[in-house]
Amino acid sequence: MSVARTSLTGVTFYSPSEANNGFTLFSPLSSKDVWMIDMQGRTVNHWEMSYTPGCYGKFLPNGNLLYAGKVDNGPLVEFEGAGGILLEMDWNSKILWQYEDPYLHHTFYRMSNGNIMILKWVKVPRIIAGKVGGGLSGTERRGTMWGDALQEITPEGKIVWEWLAYEHLDPEVDIICPVCSRTEWTHATSFDLLENGDILISFMRTNTVVIIDKKTGDINWRWGTEELSHQNSVAVLNNGNILIFDNGRHCTGEGIGFSRALEINPGSKKIIWGYEEDPPVFLYSSFLGNCQRLPNGNTLICEGTTGRILEVTPRGGMAWEFVNPYDHYSANWGHNNFIFNAYRYGLDYEGLRRSYGLDRPWKTWEEKISKIKPEVAKPSPTEAEIIRSRLEPLGY
Amino acid sequence: MGGIARRKLQSVTFNNPDKTYKGYTLFAPIIMQSRIYLIDMEGRFINYWQLPGRPGEVVGKLLPNGNVLCPVRIFRENGPVFSGWCGADILELDWNNNVVWKYRDNFQHHQVRRLRNGNTMIIRAVPVPPEIADKIQGGQPHTEDGGIMWTDSLREVTPDGKVAWEWLAYEHLDPKIDVICPLEHREEWTHGNTIEELDNGDILTCFRYISTVVIIDKKTGNIKWRWGPGEIYHPHDPTMLDNGNILLFDNGVHRRDSYFDYSRAVEVNPKTNKIEWEYRSDPPTEFYSSVCGSCQRLPNGNTLICEATKGRIFEVTYDKELVWEYVCPFFAPSTQMRHGTLAVGRNSWLQDAYRHSLDFEGFKGKDLDPSRFKLLNEVYGPETFKLGGKIK
Repeated sequence: MSVARTSLTGVTFYSPSEANNGFTLFSPLSSKDVWMIDMQGRTVNHWEMSYTPGCYGKFLPNGNLLYAGKVDNGPLVEFEGAGGILLEMDWNSKILWQYEDPYLHHTFYRMSNGNIMILKWVKVPRIIAGKVGGGLSGTERRGTMWGDALQEITPEGKIVWEWLAYEHLDPEVDIICPVCSRTEWTHATSFDLLENGDILISFMRTNTVVIIDKKTGDINWRWGTEELSHQNSVAVLNNGNILIFDNGRHCTGEGIGFSRALEINPGSKKIIWGYEEDPPVFLYSSFLGNCQRLPNGNTLICEGTTGRILEVTPRGGMAWEFVNPYDHYSANWGHNNFIFNAYRYGLDYEGLRRSYGLDRPWKTWEEKISKIKPEVAKPSPTEAEIIRSRLEPLGY
Repeated sequence: MGGIARRKLQSVTFNNPDKTYKGYTLFAPIIMQSRIYLIDMEGRFINYWQLPGRPGEVVGKLLPNGNVLCPVRIFRENGPVFSGWCGADILELDWNNNVVWKYRDNFQHHQVRRLRNGNTMIIRAVPVPPEIADKIQGGQPHTEDGGIMWTDSLREVTPDGKVAWEWLAYEHLDPKIDVICPLEHREEWTHGNTIEELDNGDILTCFRYISTVVIIDKKTGNIKWRWGPGEIYHPHDPTMLDNGNILLFDNGVHRRDSYFDYSRAVEVNPKTNKIEWEYRSDPPTEFYSSVCGSCQRLPNGNTLICEATKGRIFEVTYDKELVWEYVCPFFAPSTQMRHGTLAVGRNSWLQDAYRHSLDFEGFKGKDLDPSRFKLLNEVYGPETFKLGGKIK
């Protein structure tokens, strides 16, 4: 443990004039809770789950929570990011819809037509797996290499579209990182939909981000091998650019170990904006993590393995910082406050208007909070408390 | 701007006097600060040495007479690719900062050690002969330093600067066995970082790029023991313990088949090559330094660990309980780093840390009063100093 880096939890910095006001949603990885907090760190809502996250929940425009849970006896349960069940529930944790598939992992997307795009593991046919370059030789899982598939399913659970990565990737181009195992070819962790329905997806083990043509299944854009190191998240921005959380694990050369947010112009393949901390090693999550562009131009970054969520301005200044105060135990990671990702929902977000009634009977969140007694997450210690907590162990 | 949560707490952040091993801790911020500091258990500065340049990658410990022996970087054109980390004036400074010995080597890197016979051993960069370099496996293709692959030499020099002994890594390592990590560049084969003189005069050293710790027979130059690949990743600072085991810092960069990064302190039995003790944090990701770092077994069985890139030094018991923690309060920008892409920002990066016992012979007759450095302690010392409190 580290006292210095774990004593401060809750909201540790907040600049109301610079931050994008709203509620932040996160699901600690080793607990069965989903928390929505306000800018002060006060709990706005808490959903209690029957499953730990596999890997997170998202707040939908219809006011419901869509949550991917991890089924503990799944067939690939030892794989990082394993899921197994999708649950849609209302503000009061009532389950409205669910979908099960033991091979679900990491992420999902509710489409505007009401269908859901899911990500799952499928076996890579042996004849293709044998040709895939890279990775530690002989480390396939019981002789099998697993790959990624996307499926579009209707609310009734009918599969209406499917994309199998091994049919479109090139075993000689899409090479596994040399110090990763060959249990999986690609290890997708994140995808997003473009306006035209095409899919932007990130493959961690091959350090690649690609765009898939929804109609043909062809890969019509790819980028990353020269620049990325085991990136965990991608998102399409309104300006057409791509926002990536580049973790920085297993980078070539003598990497000092730091993560960064990157905005890429897909046309020029140039990095047009980025954020890394000063010093860079103070923002590092070797796995997990994401970033989200907010309406006011700020970027919300989740540093997964420290449970830290920060909001930075376009010029790299800090607007808000929060450290997940909830520590839980897991066999894999010990006592941790890991988070897979975090999302901010502005107070004008449709889902909040519907579920939280920000329009009626209260006009603003401030008005509403004055009428209810919020559950306080765990307030940050004051300066005096910090000094006292430091002096006491020293015997003063 | 760095995060608040990450850098708000500095100096001594935890101290359990019932369980610590009392003494004075030596450390130096690595980047452009040019000072070596000695602090007490409360984080008060009791001495510092002002260097004419940046200290090298290993500071180590005080000499038995209380002097500091440290390489100070000199920057040259046309040096090896890692010239920012290579070439030094090796200085011995007494307690009052006077230079009492100086030796220049344009290819020195990492550790400098004073041997028991009074000579000084240094690690130097030497090019691998091309016919050997061609056979060396691993590394990223075509990443040599303008066609050159560098490796290490251990060189012993007398007080008047004569070469008394030299060991060239390429004469003793095996290109088939000593394979470079697949993610590293091929500009270096080995990247040695440690010199530890054993009781019988043999040398314990550590090669980062091939993740291997070796014992070199001082008389024949042969490698008597080797261990590491597949167990540890890009390690630092092996030391021989009284029980015959070897303690080392396993940085964990490029750790095979691991989806997250963490560092460890590892105690290995060289007879069985089994790990008999290790410390990793809970959760493991909380303790990670990709470069530098050190660990030291203290006389009461505790272990002092330096998490270099975070500027954190901490002491744990054999049962892995945290009993002391210090966070470096000095932040400075780095301007001269090894690669242009490796900017490290305003950082508090340390190389290593060493705890000297209260009864260490080098302290005899020395002024250890922290009030000699009132201003330094008021600004960077513990809260008691900042709040105008009494010095105990």
